[in-house]
Amino acid sequence: MNHFGLTFPGPHLAAAGSNAALVTFLLYTLAVFGIAALSNQLMKSKSFLSEYFLGSRSLGVWAFALTFAATSASGGSFTGFPSKVYMHGWVLGLWIGSYVVVPICAMGLLGKRINQVARISGSITVPDVLRDRFHSAAFGLIAVCLIVFFMSFNLVAQFKSGSLILKMLLEGVQAYEDAAVALHGMTAGIGFLEGVDAQYLLCLLTFGVAVIIYTTYGGFHAVVWTDVMQGVVMVIGVLIMLPLAISAVGGLEPATREMAKMTTPRNGFLTVVRDAPADDGDVAIPQGTWLRYDVEGQERPRVFRVSKLAVIKQGESHADAVPVVEITTPEEIDRILASDSRIEIASDLNVQDPFHETDYYGTLTITAPSATADDRVIPKGTRLDDGEPKRTFLTAESARIDADKTSVANVSVVELKSEARLSGKRAGERLPSGLEGLSVDKVKTRSCAYQSGANQRGVYVSGPGPSPTKSDGFLPLSLAVSFFFMWAISGAGQPSSMVRLMAFNNSQTLRRSIFTVAIYYSMIYFPLVIIFCCARVLLPGMEAEPDSIMPRMAIFLTDNIGMGWLAGFLVAAPFAAVMSTVDSFLLMISSALVRDIYQRNINPEVQEKTIKRLSYLFTLLVGTAAMLGAVNPPQFLQDIIVYTGSGLAACFLAPMVFGLYWPRANAQGCIAGMLAGFGAHLSMYVAGMFVNNSFFSPYRLLDFDPIIVGLFVSFATTYVATRLTPPPSRELVVKYFSKKS
Amino acid sequence: MSTTTTESSNPFDEGEPIEYDSGFLNSRREAVIIFCVWLAALLWAVPYCYLNGYGTVAPGELKTTWGIPTWLFWGILAPWIVADVVTTWFCFFYMKDDDLGEAHEGADIAEEIAEMHATDADARQEGGR
Repeated sequence: MNHFGLTFPGPHLAAAGSNAALVTFLLYTLAVFGIAALSNQLMKSKSFLSEYFLGSRSLGVWAFALTFAATSASGGSFTGFPSKVYMHGWVLGLWIGSYVVVPICAMGLLGKRINQVARISGSITVPDVLRDRFHSAAFGLIAVCLIVFFMSFNLVAQFKSGSLILKMLLEGVQAYEDAAVALHGMTAGIGFLEGVDAQYLLCLLTFGVAVIIYTTYGGFHAVVWTDVMQGVVMVIGVLIMLPLAISAVGGLEPATREMAKMTTPRNGFLTVVRDAPADDGDVAIPQGTWLRYDVEGQERPRVFRVSKLAVIKQGESHADAVPVVEITTPEEIDRILASDSRIEIASDLNVQDPFHETDYYGTLTITAPSATADDRVIPKGTRLDDGEPKRTFLTAESARIDADKTSVANVSVVELKSEARLSGKRAGERLPSGLEGLSVDKVKTRSCAYQSGANQRGVYVSGPGPSPTKSDGFLPLSLAVSFFFMWAISGAGQPSSMVRLMAFNNSQTLRRSIFTVAIYYSMIYFPLVIIFCCARVLLPGMEAEPDSIMPRMAIFLTDNIGMGWLAGFLVAAPFAAVMSTVDSFLLMISSALVRDIYQRNINPEVQEKTIKRLSYLFTLLVGTAAMLGAVNPPQFLQDIIVYTGSGLAACFLAPMVFGLYWPRANAQGCIAGMLAGFGAHLSMYVAGMFVNNSFFSPYRLLDFDPIIVGLFVSFATTYVATRLTPPPSRELVVKYFSKKS
Repeated sequence: MSTTTTESSNPFDEGEPIEYDSGFLNSRREAVIIFCVWLAALLWAVPYCYLNGYGTVAPGELKTTWGIPTWLFWGILAPWIVADVVTTWFCFFYMKDDDLGEAHEGADIAEEIAEMHATDADARQEGGR
C-alpha cells in the first residue's frame, strides 16, 4: 500500500489501456492542427472576414449538420448528463425528451430565413443581422454587448470544464503526472497561481493553447471540420458503449428491475481510523475508497464510499469528518460484499462515529466573544447550541481559533435533529472550560437523507426522480414543461446556433441537415439514458464521484471485454464535445469585437490586411483571457452555463423571430423586447438572492424556470412596443421581404 | 428555384403593395408547422409521462416494455421514433427548396461607408454656407 493509493484506487485510463488516453489525445491534437492548416489555406483566395467567421456560407450537409450538432452538445452532454442519469434514474428520459424535436426546432424555425436575410445584407454575425435588418447601429451595439457579456462567462466555464475532462482523461499517465510535478515546481511562488492544482493547470494550458491556436489560425472552417471529427467520435463512442452496457448488465429488463429495488443513498461524515499510525508521512484516503461498519446486532454491515479525498496526517491514526456516501439498498450491499465482487473494501481502515440517518451535515463558522493571546482548540464532538428555536450541532472535526483571532470558518458539523440523538449518549460533550460564549453563524447544513425519495423503492424508475436537495423531487411537472422550452425553443435562440444557420450553402442542405441531426441526436441522447441507467446497476456508489461516471463506465465496459485500449477512444467523446463548443464561442466573441465593434462602429473603411491581423489578434487575446480566467474560475460554473444559455435565448429569440417573419417589426419594438427579456430573466435570478439566498437559485414564478418568464416577457414586449411605435420604412421592408425581380 | 410570390399586401405604408418573396412566405409557413410539432410533442410527452409514470411504484408492479419503464417507452421513446418520421416527412416532402439568393458580401459595410460620406459631404456643404 502506498501513500496515495490505498486498497482501492479508482481504475484509470493508463492502467486500462497502455497510455491509450495519451495516444488518443496526441492524435487528436495533431488532427486539429492539420485541419487548421488546411483551413488557413482556404482563406487565401476568399473574402477574409466572411471566410474566417462564416466559412464563406459554403457548408454542405455533413459539415453543417455535424458542426450544428457538436456545438449544441457541449461537454455537459457527456459529463453532467450521464451523472444526472445515474443520480436520478429513468426520469432523465423525460428531462431530455424535447430532443425529439430539437433538430427541427433549432434548425428549421429560423434556418432558411436567417440565411436568406444574411445573404441580402451581407451580414456575417448575429448582431450584423439585427443591425442591418432594422438599419439601427444602436441595436447592433446592444446585441454585441449582450453576446460579449454572456459568452465571456460561458467561455471561462467551458474552459474549466474542458480542463477537468482532460485531467480525468490523463489520470494515471506517468508522463503527464511528471509534467504536472515539474509545472508545480515552476509555478511555486507565483502569487496568481498559488494554490492552483498543478494537474488542473497543466490540463488548462494544454487544452487552452491547443484550442486557441487551431481556432485562431484556421478560423470558422477549422472549427467546423474539427466539429465534424468530434461529432463522429461522439456518436461512435455512444454506439460502442450501448451494446456493451446492456450486455454487461445482463439485459435491460433485469437492469430496470434491479433499479426498481434501489433506495437512495445517504450523505454524511464519519471518522476513519487506521490500524497503525501514519509514521512515514501523510496517508491519503482517496475518493472512491470503500469502507464498512459492522453494527452490533445487525446481520448486514453499513457500507460507505469516500466522496472526497481525506488525509490521515503523519503521526496520527485517524481522519475526522471524512465525507462519504452510504449505500442503503440491501441487495446492493450484498452484491458489493459478495466474494466475486470486483470491489475491495479497505481492510486496514475502520469506521468510527458514522452519521445517523436523521442527522443533517455541513459547515458553520464558530465565533468567540473576544480574541486571546493563545490558540483555542474546540475538540471534535463538542456540542454547540444556537438560536431560537434551538439548533444543536456536533463538531465533526477539531477546530482551532488562532491567537488574536475571534472566529474559525467552515467547521464540519453534524446537526442533531431527532430527540433520540439529542438525549443519547453520543449527543456530544459540553464546551471545555475557557471556551464559553462561543456562537455560531453561516450555518450550511443539509439532510443526510435525500429530501425526496428517501427510503422508497421504485424512485429510480418513476417520476419525479429522487433528489438530495429538493423536496418536490428532481423533475416536478413544472420543470418538465420548462425543459421542453429550455432545449427546443431556447436552443433556437442561441446566437452560436444562429451563426451556423447563416453558413449553409442552400436550402437543400438545410433540409438534409435537419434530417441528419435528428438521426444523430436519436443515436446519442436516449442511448445515453440507457447506458447510464445500466451504470447505476454496474457501478454502485458513484454518487461519491458523479462527474467521473463516464470514464469509469468506459473503463469498466472495455475491461469487461478485454479491450482496455478502447477506453481512450470512448473517453475522448466528452473531450471532443467540450472542444467543439469552446472553439465556436471563442470565434463568436472575437467576431463581435472585430466585426461588430471595430469595423462597424469605429473604422468601416479599414483595410482587409488590418482586419485579418485584428481577427487573429482578438481571437488569440480572447482565448488567452478566458484561459487566464479559468485558472481561478468563479464558483457555480454549471450554474453560469445555465444562466448564460437561457439568458441569451431570452434576449435574442423574440427580436430575431419578429425581425425575420414580421414585416411590421421595427427597431424600437425589438430593442425593447430584447432588453425586457434580459431584464425579466435577470430579475428572476436577483429575486433568488432574496428568496433563496443565492443568485444561482433563481426565483421560479409559478414553479417555472426563468427562461419561460424571459421568453414570455420578451415576445409580449416586442409585439406591444412594435404596435405602439411607427412602422419601419418601406425601403427596409422591400429590401428584406419583397420578391426579387 | 424561382423566387415567385404567392401573396401581396402592404398593411402599414403608402405606395404600391409589396409582393412578398416566396422564400419568406414558405419559411413562415414552415415555422408555423414546426411550432405545432413542438407543441404536439410537449402536449403528448409531459402529460402522458406525468399521468403514467409519476408517483410511488412498487418494484413488483413496474411495467416495462423492452426493458424500459412502459410510461417512458410510450411517453418518450415511441414519440421519438414518430418525431423522426415527422422530421423525415417535413424535410423531404414538405419543406421547399427556396432560392436563398447570392450573398452580398460587404454590402452592409459599403452602404454604411456611402452614408458616412454623404453625411460628411452634407456637413461640409453646411459649413460652406
